[in-house]
Amino acid sequence: MLRMTNLSKVYRTHMIETHALRGFEIQVNQGEFVTVTGPSGSGKTSFLNIAGLLEEFTGGEYILDGVNVKGMNDNARSRLRNEKLGFIFQGFNLIPDLSLFDNVDVPLRYRGFNAAERKERIEDALAKVGLASRMKHYPAELSGGQQQRVAIARALAGSPKLLLADEPTGNLDTQMARGVMELLEEINAQGTTILMVTHDPELAVRSQRNVHIIDGQVSDLVRKTPTLFDANANAGGTHNHVA
Amino acid sequence: MFSYYFLLGVRSLRRNPALTALMVLTLAIGVAASVSTLTILHVMSSNPIPHKSERLLVPVIDNGPLEGYNPNESLRANSNEQMSYIDAANFLKSGQGERRTALYGVSAPIEPDRKDLPVTSSDGIAPSRDFFAMFDVPFLYGQAWSEADDKAGANVVVLSQTLSEKLFGAVDPVGKRIRMFSQEFQVTGVLKPWQPIPKFYRLIGGPGAFSKEDEFMIPFSSAIRNELGHQGSMSCSGRRDPGWQGLLNSECTWIQFFFETRTAAARGELQDYIDSYAAEQRKLGRLKRAAKNNLYDVMEWLEYQKVVGNDSRLSAWLAFGFLLLCLVNTIGLLLAKYSVRAAEVGIRRALGASRREIFHQFLTETAVVGLVGGGLGLILSFGALALIAMQSKQLQVVAHMDWAMLALTFVMALLAALLAGLLPTWRACQVTPALQLKSQ
Repeated sequence: MLRMTNLSKVYRTHMIETHALRGFEIQVNQGEFVTVTGPSGSGKTSFLNIAGLLEEFTGGEYILDGVNVKGMNDNARSRLRNEKLGFIFQGFNLIPDLSLFDNVDVPLRYRGFNAAERKERIEDALAKVGLASRMKHYPAELSGGQQQRVAIARALAGSPKLLLADEPTGNLDTQMARGVMELLEEINAQGTTILMVTHDPELAVRSQRNVHIIDGQVSDLVRKTPTLFDANANAGGTHNHVA
Repeated sequence: MFSYYFLLGVRSLRRNPALTALMVLTLAIGVAASVSTLTILHVMSSNPIPHKSERLLVPVIDNGPLEGYNPNESLRANSNEQMSYIDAANFLKSGQGERRTALYGVSAPIEPDRKDLPVTSSDGIAPSRDFFAMFDVPFLYGQAWSEADDKAGANVVVLSQTLSEKLFGAVDPVGKRIRMFSQEFQVTGVLKPWQPIPKFYRLIGGPGAFSKEDEFMIPFSSAIRNELGHQGSMSCSGRRDPGWQGLLNSECTWIQFFFETRTAAARGELQDYIDSYAAEQRKLGRLKRAAKNNLYDVMEWLEYQKVVGNDSRLSAWLAFGFLLLCLVNTIGLLLAKYSVRAAEVGIRRALGASRREIFHQFLTETAVVGLVGGGLGLILSFGALALIAMQSKQLQVVAHMDWAMLALTFVMALLAALLAGLLPTWRACQVTPALQLKSQ
């Protein structure tokens, strides 16, 4: 699903160079649920941004679902992002003056679906997260957990192959966080690959595989004890140490 | 996607109502100022008879004395551009061109048949019969006087609809008589409202290029026979004998003249005729100066007579300068409006929007602002034109909106908004999505 080989990311200002990622290697297989942990400033977010085609990398190779993304122009990257990826953020990132229906509609518009198909997908996605009855509401009328569910519905509506989640429970209380995590596990159980950055060791334990990043490199890639969700992971998730 | 972006644009108007209102108002004021001055300029400089303006030609012959003549100076500096009776009469008899008319302004108290109505003072002109066909003058009742009337200098008259209704009510008065210049004149026709703007056929001396319609028309020959004094300017450089005949025999210029040629190409033949006529008059000793004889078609004549003054042009430039200032303000307001939407741009980019799509979306939103600004600008333009019209009777004639200017208002508002939106939109496209998404 995703393979990065000897990937590097350098941020340059006129004074200094910062190596966010160096010699970064990772492979995530179709259907896996991988968590990414690491201390602040270790390069987790840079990795996720590059994986999500939101940032370009400096060197190395990145293959996303069989497509080498190196040197792609903005249009092609945007198209690939729209078709293959779904995003969930810590801050939900819903557009406040659009209804839930219209928020979920955004990625589908860029995909070019017709009105009928968009409607069907939006209703399905909102039904999956239990918010079908509130599609005319606005984000401000929902709790944090509900807003994150809408973000998940928006990410799912386009049937992405890879769901990228950046601390999706970071702004939620324990109960809401549990609900969101269960939802993600359900989605993964239905075959969607999930790559989730988290600070929470408990959540990291619940995934099939945890990737630990330190100083811009994968320091440890550990296969967890088999869990309920491992049935969905394929053979690609059996590495013990990659870095 | 355009309809989606348009819808987002309409919603965006409500997002920050105060800022949006300020933007729309700024744009509307700039557009209204430009459109109202441009409308006046457009009307003033429009072709009043477009389908044949190239075939209607004004001859100008310099019949001034040798004293004070400087061949290096323009005709305008040397003489009046009107014509003496001698030249007008010769040209009328010449048979040159397809049609021809001499004309001058006359003014008369008119005594209605009905004794209960007061005597009205009316302004008219005394043209030749060809005038009506040359200038496509439309008739409501009757027709122009006959060629025989022209030859005989008959007391016949064509009335404007306004004067006809004032004298006879809303009936066909053809055949009836009115008393003017202390004589009876028989009505041969009544015109439909006819007011070419500018009034190209009488630019010199009369009430002006943007004056109201003429109230009546009597034959040039009748006016001459009845010794009706002219209303307008007269230039007399030489000696003039007293009396009416003295005026007719003098080199005073007080008549305006038009030829109509069959084709625009026939202008050359007419020029040849005028040159040979002037040469002959010089041989006879009447014309003193070896000046160039000129022909002007309608648009050249309007330009030559400076119908659109420099002050009108300057006003238009100033208005455009004001529009530019409004644009700069709008750019600032749009930058402010779009800078707070960096997060939305980040989200849309993450969800698959390319920079190009963000550009289209924001530019469409800007166009929506432009359309609303255009709508308000149009209302303000009507208001500004109404205010301008109140300043004078001449401005009242030119200060009115037509379809072309109405369309121009929207096009100008749209273009102005799009122009103002380019920089803010470009900056919106440069948003780094990763930064925005993390900072939320």
